[in-house]
Amino acid sequence: MSAKVYVIGAGMTTFGAFPETEVHALAQQAVWEAINSAGVDPRRLEVCYAGHAYQGPCFGQKTLCRLGLTGMPVVNVENACASGGSAILGVSSMIKSGQADLGIALGGEKLTSPSGGFLPLVSDDLDSSMGRVMPAAFAMMARRHMEMFGTTIEQIAMVSIKNYNNGLLNPRCHMKRKITVEEVLNSPIIADPLTRLCCCPISDGAAAVILASEKVARQYTSKPVELVASVLNSGKRVRYNIINESSEMSIRAAKAAYEIAGLGPRDIDVCELHDPFSIAEIVHCEDLGFCGLGEGGPFVAEGRSALDGEVAVSPSGGLMAKGHPLGATGVAQVAEIFWQLRGEAGSRQVPGAKVGLAHTIGGGVSRIESGACSVQILKI
Amino acid sequence: MSSKREVFDQTSRLPIRPGLFIEHPDPSKGASLIGCRCRECGNTFFPKEEICPVCIKEGTLDEILLDGKGKLVSFTRVLRPIPGFDSPYALGCIELEAGPVLIAQLEDWQGLDLEMDMPVELVIGEIKRDKDGNTIIGPKFRPLTN
Repeated sequence: MSAKVYVIGAGMTTFGAFPETEVHALAQQAVWEAINSAGVDPRRLEVCYAGHAYQGPCFGQKTLCRLGLTGMPVVNVENACASGGSAILGVSSMIKSGQADLGIALGGEKLTSPSGGFLPLVSDDLDSSMGRVMPAAFAMMARRHMEMFGTTIEQIAMVSIKNYNNGLLNPRCHMKRKITVEEVLNSPIIADPLTRLCCCPISDGAAAVILASEKVARQYTSKPVELVASVLNSGKRVRYNIINESSEMSIRAAKAAYEIAGLGPRDIDVCELHDPFSIAEIVHCEDLGFCGLGEGGPFVAEGRSALDGEVAVSPSGGLMAKGHPLGATGVAQVAEIFWQLRGEAGSRQVPGAKVGLAHTIGGGVSRIESGACSVQILKI
Repeated sequence: MSSKREVFDQTSRLPIRPGLFIEHPDPSKGASLIGCRCRECGNTFFPKEEICPVCIKEGTLDEILLDGKGKLVSFTRVLRPIPGFDSPYALGCIELEAGPVLIAQLEDWQGLDLEMDMPVELVIGEIKRDKDGNTIIGPKFRPLTN
């Protein structure tokens, strides 16, 4: 039995558009809140993993030194949208291997700019250089899911509606309004069949969590949240890669995480799921085992992934409404699960939540499904 | 295109990357994709690989030309303007008869009812313009309606 790892504190900025604020200033806020929420002496932090995708060299150091936190090993992690999930794995591995008792996983990203628009197309990737922007990849995934399983555009719209509704209850959410099916369907088409309200906003933000060994966790809190599984994988060459109607790497990561945790999909009370585009919640509810293959559309439309459903999916608002500052996302998901399991999630609290799952997937890589997928399972 | 532009236009038609396709000198013969096939596992790959990604072994791959016949396994029309790209454009996921699957833009798609499994053929055409105004060309696919 390897050593246990606990989350003992969490912090995050409100996600939103902050074009005037430096990313390190955003990250600093999240780190400080996490430290204060854990009640740890910041000088006792032994290691930091910092996730980001586009923030340049030494993002973690540039953040920590603003708080006088210098000298510790800092590993900067880039795994596109799964950077934050990867940072959590890094700190957790240090603790499991006995190299540290107390560490911080941080994620941050600043995406807003005066010009706005899509993420830059990376010219070193063939699909991207041919015009495969992310909304187009998910649009093609949506079309396959619709064709194969009869999923409807109204069901896809229901994901946006549910996650916007959840987001209304989250003070740190970027998009704060109620939307209707008609609004989703009538918003401008980005890549058909996906409209603007089927796509996450472009957001800035940061999140941080404090991780500790069992011995240290007990010194600080009577309510530690155990990180029972932290799995990271990379994509394989699968038939239709990123546009396939199911995600092989999500299925594989979830299966591995359930096995490590000794739990199954029916044990999950609350899930923060990677939904940069609304079709993703339908597909990944199937991949994570919350419903059967092809059943994701009705599963969402019948409210089974709602706050009071069988499994509350993305109570924070998800990427869809809360926002998706890439490197921050995976850490913010674990922060949300931490608050949910401690009963500290305010009006979006999932009653009696004991087990939670966080899922991120990211990175367009032509020859394989996607760059990286992380699944964490936490319990109290 | 005016003759004036031909005289003064210093921009070029550049392949999106080397080694992806060849255009036959006789345009009626079309173009081919440059792929490879493994002598051991029998798999065909596009783009061409150096090491067979299935066998994870070198020296088993032979370069082959692929005629670019295939079918649409999904598609979308990108309406949001993307810098450098002529929007709207249509994108397809194409499964080649030879086996490989690739994502590429569609040609002559306006006015067509695109459908799953629609047959497509390879053409070489404009993908985008670079910041110097050069035309970047590469594989595109034309849906075949009958």
